[in-house]
Amino acid sequence: MVENFLAGTSALFGDPFTVAIFVFGVVGGMLFGAIPGVSMLTLAAILLPFTADLEPAQGVMLFAVIYCTGTYGGAITAILFNIPGAPENAPTAFDGYPMTRKGQSGKAVGAAVLCSAIGGVASALVMMAATEPLANWAIRNIGPPEIFALVFFGLAVASSVGGRTIWKGWMSVLLGLLIATIGQDPVGGINRYNFGFTDLAAGIAFVPAILGFFAVSEIFVQAEKKATGQFDAPKVGMSFPTVLELWMHKFAVLRSILVGFFCGILPGIGATLAAFMGYGEAVRWSKNKEEFGKGKLEGVISSETANNAATGAAMIPLLALGLPGGALTAMMVAVFQMHDLEPGPLVFYNSPDLIWIVFAAMFYANLSILFIGLIETKTILYLLKIPFQFLAPLILLLATIGAYISRGLVLDVMVMFGAGILGFLLRRTGYSIPGIVLGLILGKIGEQNFAQGMQMVHYDLGTYFSRPICSILIVAGALTLAAGIYRAFSPASNSA
Amino acid sequence: MIETVVWSLIAIIFFGYTFEFNQPIEIYKFGATGWPRVIILLLLLVTAGNLYHHFKYGSAIQKGRVGIAETDESPTDYSNPATLAKIIAILFTPFLFAYLLKPVGMYSAAPFFIAAVIWLFGERRWKWIISITILIYAILLGLFVVTLNAPLPQGNVSPFYDFSGFILKMNTLLQQLW
Repeated sequence: MVENFLAGTSALFGDPFTVAIFVFGVVGGMLFGAIPGVSMLTLAAILLPFTADLEPAQGVMLFAVIYCTGTYGGAITAILFNIPGAPENAPTAFDGYPMTRKGQSGKAVGAAVLCSAIGGVASALVMMAATEPLANWAIRNIGPPEIFALVFFGLAVASSVGGRTIWKGWMSVLLGLLIATIGQDPVGGINRYNFGFTDLAAGIAFVPAILGFFAVSEIFVQAEKKATGQFDAPKVGMSFPTVLELWMHKFAVLRSILVGFFCGILPGIGATLAAFMGYGEAVRWSKNKEEFGKGKLEGVISSETANNAATGAAMIPLLALGLPGGALTAMMVAVFQMHDLEPGPLVFYNSPDLIWIVFAAMFYANLSILFIGLIETKTILYLLKIPFQFLAPLILLLATIGAYISRGLVLDVMVMFGAGILGFLLRRTGYSIPGIVLGLILGKIGEQNFAQGMQMVHYDLGTYFSRPICSILIVAGALTLAAGIYRAFSPASNSA
Repeated sequence: MIETVVWSLIAIIFFGYTFEFNQPIEIYKFGATGWPRVIILLLLLVTAGNLYHHFKYGSAIQKGRVGIAETDESPTDYSNPATLAKIIAILFTPFLFAYLLKPVGMYSAAPFFIAAVIWLFGERRWKWIISITILIYAILLGLFVVTLNAPLPQGNVSPFYDFSGFILKMNTLLQQLW
C-alpha cells in the first residue's frame, strides 16, 4: 500500500499541470462550498464537459478533490449565517450558528476545519487500505433492507432532536416524510400530490427546501428581531479551539469517523445521513444533552468529522463496484465513461495508476483543508462585520439563484420562500427544522429501499430480522422510539 | 387546539388526494398510496398525542429535549400594528419577487428587490441603499453571468425581456474579448 501511495504521490506532484488541477480543485471546492446558493455540485457540473480534454486520472482526481474540499466549504456558511452549503452541512448549523451568535465563530470554524481534515484523512487512509475487502463485504451484506433499516434508525434518532416535545419532534419528521411523497412514486412512477402543477412531478428538490428552512427562515427571524428592536448583531470571535478542547472531544471524533465511514459506504446515503447520524450519536452519548442546539462545540465537531469521513468511504462503492453513492460520484462515473473506462473491480487491474493518483489526491486534499482552511478562516470571519441589512439581500438573492439554478424552475424559488415562511412559523411554535429536513431527504430513499426490500423478501417482514445488520438497526430504531414513547407519557419527563 | 386543527386538515387533505393516484402497481403490492397513507395515519396519531400532551402538561419544553435554539423560543411583542405590518411585508416581499421572476426576469427585478430588502431591514440612508444595491447587483452579474454563465430567468414581458437580452449580449461581447 505504501509503495502504491508513494507512486501516486509522485505522479500527482511530478507533473505541474496535474498539480495546477489539484490546486484548482482544492480552492474551487472550498469556494463553491462556501458561497451560499451554489455548491460543489454546481462547480462539478460546470467542469464536467472540460474533463474530456484531460487525462482520465486528472479528470477523476479533480472531482475527488472537489468532493473533499466542497464538503468542508459548506460548513463555513452554515456556521456564520445558518446557511448550510450542502445538505451534509445542515447539522453543523445546529450548534455552529448559535456559537456565532455567542461570539464563538472562530472556535466553531476552527473546529470545523480541523475535524473535516481529521475525518477526511482518516477516511482516505481506510479507503486506501480496505477498498477491495470492504466493497466485497458491502456487496454481500448491504442491500435494500439494510438501507431501509438505517433510514428508519436515522429518522428515529432525528425525532429526538430539536422539537420542544417528543410529539413535535415526531410531527416534524412525519411532515418531512409527507413532503417527500410529493412527485412520482419511486416504484411505478405514478404522479402523487402534484396539485395541478406539472413541475411538481419531479418532487420537491432538496436544495430549495434546505435553503428555505435554514437560510430564508433565519433571515425572517432576524428581520422580526430588527422590527421589534431585539436584534443583536453576531459578535466576531477570533479565538480558535484550544488543543485541550479538541482533545476532550476525541471520542466524539472517533465515533463520527466510524459513523461517517459506515454511512459513506452505502449507495445513495452518503455524507448527509453521516452528518445527521454523527450529530445524533453525539447527542445520545453526551452527558449534557440539553446543551446541544445552543452552541456546543461537540455538535460542530461530530457533524463535520462524520460528513468528511463519508467522502473517502463513498469512493469505495464507486471504484470497487461502479455504484455511485450520490450526485457528485455519479458525475465521476460520467468522467470515467468519457474516457472509455468503467468504474468497477476491473479498474484496479486495468488502471492502478489512476486509482492511486486519486487516493493520494484525496489524502492531500483533506490535509489542504487544514492549512488553507486555517489561513482563510480569519478573512472569512470578517464577513460578520457587514451590517445585517446589507447582508440579508445578498443572502436572499444568492439563495434565490441557488434554488433556481439546479432545475431552472421558478417553482423552486416559490418552494424555497414557502419553506422559509413555514420554517419561521414552525421554529416559533417549537417544531424541529432538522427533523423536517431529514424526513424530506430520507423519505424517498426510505420508500424506495422499503419497496425493493419487500419485493426481495416476498413481503415477509420476518426475513428482515434474519439479516443481522438489518435487525440490529431496526431494534436500535425501535428502542429509540420506545424510549421516546415512555418519555412522552412519563410524568417525570413532563413536570415543570 | 389551532395546531391540532391545522395538522388534522393537512392529514385529511393529503389523505383525500391519495384517491387521485390510487392505482395498482403490478410489481408492488402496496401501490403508490401505501407509503403516504401510513405516514398520514402516523401523523394523525402523533397529532392526537400532541393534543393530549398539551391538555395534560401545557406547552412547556419537555425535560431532556435537545437541540432547541434559544433564539427560537424568545417571546415577541406584536402590540404595535406598524411592527406587524413590517413583518408581513418582509415575509411577502420575497414571494412578490419570486412571482415576478417569470414575467420580469432576474436582471430587471433584482435591483428593486435588493433595495426593498435593505429598506425593510431599517436602512434609511438613500446613498447607502443605492450604492449597496449596485454592489450586490454587480456581484450577481460578475459571479453568475460573466463567470458561471448561469441561465437566470430572463422574463417574457417587454421591455424587461429586452433588458435581459441586452445584459446577455454584453456578456457575450465580454466573453469574446477573452
